[in-house]
Amino acid sequence: MSYVDAGYAVGLSVLFAYGLGLVLRRRALERRAEISRNSEPDQSTAGPERAEP
Amino acid sequence: MWRDALLVAGKDLRIELRSRVALWQVLPVAVLFLVLYAFALGPVRSTLASAAPGLFWLAVLFSTVLATQRSFAIESGEGTRDGLRASGIDPAGVFLGKAAAVAAELAVLQVVLWVAMSLLFGVHVHTVWLAVVASVLATIGLAAAGTLYGALSAGLRVRETLLPLLVLPVLAPVLLAASRAWAGALSGPLSDGVSWLRVLGPFAAAYVVVGIVLYGPLLEAG
Amino acid sequence: MSVRPKTSARPLPWWARWAGILGAVGTAATVWLGLWVTPPDRTQGNLVRLVYLHPPIAWVALYLAFGLAALSSLLYLWRRTRSLFWDRVAAASVEVGVVFNALTLATGMLWGRPTWGVWWTWDARLTSTALLLVLFLGYLALRRVPAEPEVRARRCAVAALVAFVDVPIVHFSVIWWQTLHQGATVLNANLSPTIHGSMAWTLLLGFVALTLVFVWMVAVRYRIEVLADRTDAAHLEISLEERWSEAEPTSSDVGSARPPSQVGT
Repeated sequence: MSYVDAGYAVGLSVLFAYGLGLVLRRRALERRAEISRNSEPDQSTAGPERAEP
Repeated sequence: MWRDALLVAGKDLRIELRSRVALWQVLPVAVLFLVLYAFALGPVRSTLASAAPGLFWLAVLFSTVLATQRSFAIESGEGTRDGLRASGIDPAGVFLGKAAAVAAELAVLQVVLWVAMSLLFGVHVHTVWLAVVASVLATIGLAAAGTLYGALSAGLRVRETLLPLLVLPVLAPVLLAASRAWAGALSGPLSDGVSWLRVLGPFAAAYVVVGIVLYGPLLEAG
Repeated sequence: MSVRPKTSARPLPWWARWAGILGAVGTAATVWLGLWVTPPDRTQGNLVRLVYLHPPIAWVALYLAFGLAALSSLLYLWRRTRSLFWDRVAAASVEVGVVFNALTLATGMLWGRPTWGVWWTWDARLTSTALLLVLFLGYLALRRVPAEPEVRARRCAVAALVAFVDVPIVHFSVIWWQTLHQGATVLNANLSPTIHGSMAWTLLLGFVALTLVFVWMVAVRYRIEVLADRTDAAHLEISLEERWSEAEPTSSDVGSARPPSQVGT
């Protein structure tokens, strides 16, 4: 593999991986926010629920 | 602002004189560094002599980290910082005062290190004025930047590892410039050494100004 | 009844979404043009193809990302414009900037090795870029230290600004260092050849495409920052409630009824 190919490969794969990571992180956090909002404390007898990721 | 600075500097130095932490801990560690360098590099005099300026300033750099950590450790008592704020002292004055105290400690440290280095590494300063001017400028810069970062990391439990990571890259140009200036003063071409003052001066000025400007916003109750 | 917070599960603003799409397309186009359509250089041969990637990445990292971080930090510290919005923009910008910074060094090294024969040299540009990486890694480390949002924001803002001030000083110092030590100037640190025609257009496309990618990344990362802060706050609440119910002397199992004083929040 030439240096040029290596350069493009590294650049593109890192950018892609990081971008993908951002998208996945955001989805996970939005899901968690959704869940913890649904388990809001208007049920005063139930114990505290842990928000599942 | 200047009167406040003198007040704070006086307080810090008095605390140091009473507790003698810098004297008994920071100073010995710095000298220890010199010894360890010799272990690492080998006993050949010429190697040590050529590396001497850089090693000296490395030791000073690490000591700056220790000294600034110490400078803010003494503030960690309950309400000390709030007390300072409530008393209406200008934060810029606090910054200058603390930096001045650290600078004073570093100055004493450098004298001792200089003596130790002459003995251990067999180097002699040919151009004393260059070494002194470089030291003064470098010390001002180190103390200013160090104090700013010391305040930044004060109260953090991870500050022992975080402060070096944050502040050492900032101090890197001082290490470079001061070492080259001292190399000029010790052995190398004098004009080269002198030209490095061109980096030390602006750095010192920049960080004193940056510290004065940012110290208040950094510490305010928000 | 709980009030629905405004920033829940909102889609990205339209300009961010478009930046992402166009950026991805543009980057793909740049790669295609750069690798296959444009001609090789007279002196550098095929190695010149890295010019479509390396300078644009460097531009995004050093000027766009860290410049934005410094500007946002300043705006946060200035009382008239103080808002956690700027702190979050800075944090997002720094993280993206660090990624691009690392890529700058990587692509630079891959270009430098066949060109100069060495992976690394202590010239001004490389040294400053490396130090910049370390400085902003420090920022990221500082960000991870748990603290109140305003306190963390203040600390990080100062760190970002100081880093920004430090880099020109380092850059100048190292230029000076190299000038006085003739040795390394044999290596021509200037990697950009003279380009024209299709090469120039591809290069321009590269800059534009990666700038758009940067915009999209910062937008997503900003949204993550907002969500993370809210999730942290929610988790803190939940763990506090757990602690209170565990402290109740009569309850023998976890998750039992809360102490009577704790009705709702």
